Amino acid sequence: MSKTDTIQFSQPDENTLGVVVGNARRAVQSTARRFSRASTAHRASLGTAFLGLGAVIVVGLRAVYGLIWFAAQWEVYPEPFAALAAWIVLAAVLIGAIVMSRVSGDRLPDWMFGLFLAGLAIAFALDVIAVWELRNIGGFATAALTAGMALLVLVALRGRAEILTAAVVLGVALIVVIFLDAPVGALADPDWIAIQVTAIAGAVLPPIIGVVIVESFRRMVQVELDRVLVQSTVSAPRFAVGMLASEELARLDLAAEELLDAVAQQKTKLPLTPKNASVAAQLATELRLHLIEGRRETWLYHAISESEQLGKSVTLSDKSSLAGLLDPTQRDGLLSAAWLLVADVPSAANPRRRGTARTLSIQIGPVVPGSPAVPAHKIAVPITVTSTGIPRNRVDSGVWDAIGRIGRYSDSTQDASLRVDIECIVDNPADQ
Amino acid sequence: MDLISKERDRLLQRSARVYGLSFTAVSALCFALPGAVPFPVLLLGIPLYLILAAALVAVGLSRSIWWPVVALVAGTGIVLVVGILGATPTPAGSLALIHVAAAGLASLALVLTTSAPRIALLVTGALVGVGTVVFAEIDTPAQALRSGGTVLVGWGLAALITVWINAGVPQVAKRIASIGRAHRAERQASELEAQRRQGARLLHDTVLASLTLLAHSGVGVKPEALRQQAGEDARLLRQLRLGTAPQLAEPTQTGTVPVVTAEEPVLGTTLESVKQRFGRMGLQVSWHGTGQVLLPSEVLDAFLLALAECLENVRRHSGVTEAHVTITDDATMVRALVTDAGVGFDIADIDEAKLGFAESVVGRLREVGGNARLFSAPGSGTTVALEVPRG
Repeated sequence: MSKTDTIQFSQPDENTLGVVVGNARRAVQSTARRFSRASTAHRASLGTAFLGLGAVIVVGLRAVYGLIWFAAQWEVYPEPFAALAAWIVLAAVLIGAIVMSRVSGDRLPDWMFGLFLAGLAIAFALDVIAVWELRNIGGFATAALTAGMALLVLVALRGRAEILTAAVVLGVALIVVIFLDAPVGALADPDWIAIQVTAIAGAVLPPIIGVVIVESFRRMVQVELDRVLVQSTVSAPRFAVGMLASEELARLDLAAEELLDAVAQQKTKLPLTPKNASVAAQLATELRLHLIEGRRETWLYHAISESEQLGKSVTLSDKSSLAGLLDPTQRDGLLSAAWLLVADVPSAANPRRRGTARTLSIQIGPVVPGSPAVPAHKIAVPITVTSTGIPRNRVDSGVWDAIGRIGRYSDSTQDASLRVDIECIVDNPADQ
Repeated sequence: MDLISKERDRLLQRSARVYGLSFTAVSALCFALPGAVPFPVLLLGIPLYLILAAALVAVGLSRSIWWPVVALVAGTGIVLVVGILGATPTPAGSLALIHVAAAGLASLALVLTTSAPRIALLVTGALVGVGTVVFAEIDTPAQALRSGGTVLVGWGLAALITVWINAGVPQVAKRIASIGRAHRAERQASELEAQRRQGARLLHDTVLASLTLLAHSGVGVKPEALRQQAGEDARLLRQLRLGTAPQLAEPTQTGTVPVVTAEEPVLGTTLESVKQRFGRMGLQVSWHGTGQVLLPSEVLDAFLLALAECLENVRRHSGVTEAHVTITDDATMVRALVTDAGVGFDIADIDEAKLGFAESVVGRLREVGGNARLFSAPGSGTTVALEVPRG
């Protein structure tokens, strides 16, 4: 039929004149999620190229060390040329991976990753063949052990699961060949075992530690990015529409235009089918809410709803939109305090992080008239910050500096929650 | 301290913990192999390993400098126990020492670079590590030299990793800050764009009215009238989208288009467009009283929106096809009475919010300093009194 039939909306809420705030809020939040998802891939690579370069240097040092050992043991090897071949394959794979990573940017294509792993496997096999007769793989293998470290080269270019899997597979392969190659009685010889354990640890642990460092670094970048993006709300006007509102409004306007155009052009028959009618009802509801409700929200609401971290753990109760009255310094203080209090909450990137979930609730207002100590043309806005899951003595000292910028405060601990009452002096809006 | 430094410290602490714990575990494994060290050494060593592990866990959680100190003392204790109590270490024992001194303890370098006392502790730790390992292996000078060298390389490597990460953080912070600046500009632009769209209130008012009609499948309105209305609304939305100032036009029969811009603060002409619109939907609106009233545009917007909401309620609920609007004004206020002779209702029976009255009428008027009151009784029609200040 017409183009309008392709406009997809969720189940319409009736009541085209009513207040269906939950609906619009859902719509905004789903857009917010889409927005942040789209940029996550890009965010993750920020700054890890530099770490990757560091990993390349470490791998280079390890390779030189391995090569020296290899050269020193040339006479000992039963099959020196197999070991030499292993080193040539390993060097080719490493150089190829390093060059490609510099050229292709922040991600190695799948086929190249496969090639890299295949190369490591070949080098590993050749090196094991070379030292098999010596019955002490841990003591004499060189390229096979360097292969584990070589995974570090890709630590910034591939996902953590892939690197970890490869490291574990390599570790298991090492254990298997060491076990198969063990001389009689070796399993009772602590010295022989210690050498093998050392070899396995030296091959497997570096990529694992590398993954931990890179993941933590990505997490740090994400938190900082989240914070910096939200920080821009500090200079927002008293009431703002938020980043996504205009995008959303433009989308709704366009959908309405298409629907109305289809009706005008007789592409859509009148009276409308129930389905199209519900599309219209839905559009009207969302449009109305975006036009009316949008400007009621303060910078703080937008900051919390736009932030991945704050959105998860902060609840805001600000019935009279008093947050809008805070000046930029006070806003910065409040936002910093919130950040410092929730910064340890498990993130989406790393949901398994231990520790009790921290939640924060910020209650602003109501204004109690007749507070004596307030200068002329000012009013005192009471702000209560209640935090759970964080003991008083673990509160970062920066929190108190930040809260001090908002106004005079007093804190108390009840049960397991910390409560800070702040008296925030702001310009009286009635005098403006 | 700024947040990114805190995050960096946390990153280094966590890395040190994983690094240190994994190699301490490897060392403990070598240490505990049967025959690797004499029994008394094993007995003394195990508690020290536990203390070291606990201290490393704590390093991951706390920024205190004392946990690295505890870890260093416990780890050095292990080396010394082997060196003093054991004779020449077996190769397994020797490997255990290297793992703990060159990696388990060296991992602490990650958290020991941010201040002078910490750097001093780092240097002390590295030297003590080298010294004690050499002391433990002093009976075999070649092995002692090799082990000492490995410990030194281990500390050097850990320090290098730390320096590298520390160098990476300001770079990324700078890039993030520039993204933040771009984002602030984007936020302002977005705010302006939203203001422009929200500012086109009159336009959205007619669009909403049309959508509301369509939501009821257009029942009760002549299809041609609805099509005409929809076409005009679509045209206005297109103008808004393309960036030209939306104009509320009243196409006349001859095709000439007398335009009224949305910003023009003259009540009479805009009232006429409201009347036309409701006319097309089957509600005859008669105007009485003042025709020309000048109002600030946001007040005019609120006033007209409230008026249109009232008329929409009449059209949908009253059961009559005629409504009267009386506009009066004095020095301070402009008032409108919207009356119909319809079915009326008992105010107590109707939830005001359900009519959208509180939200869309009273709310909007209060925003600009006005107010609205509702009078009705079953069978005697409905009257709404709206008022807004003149300036």
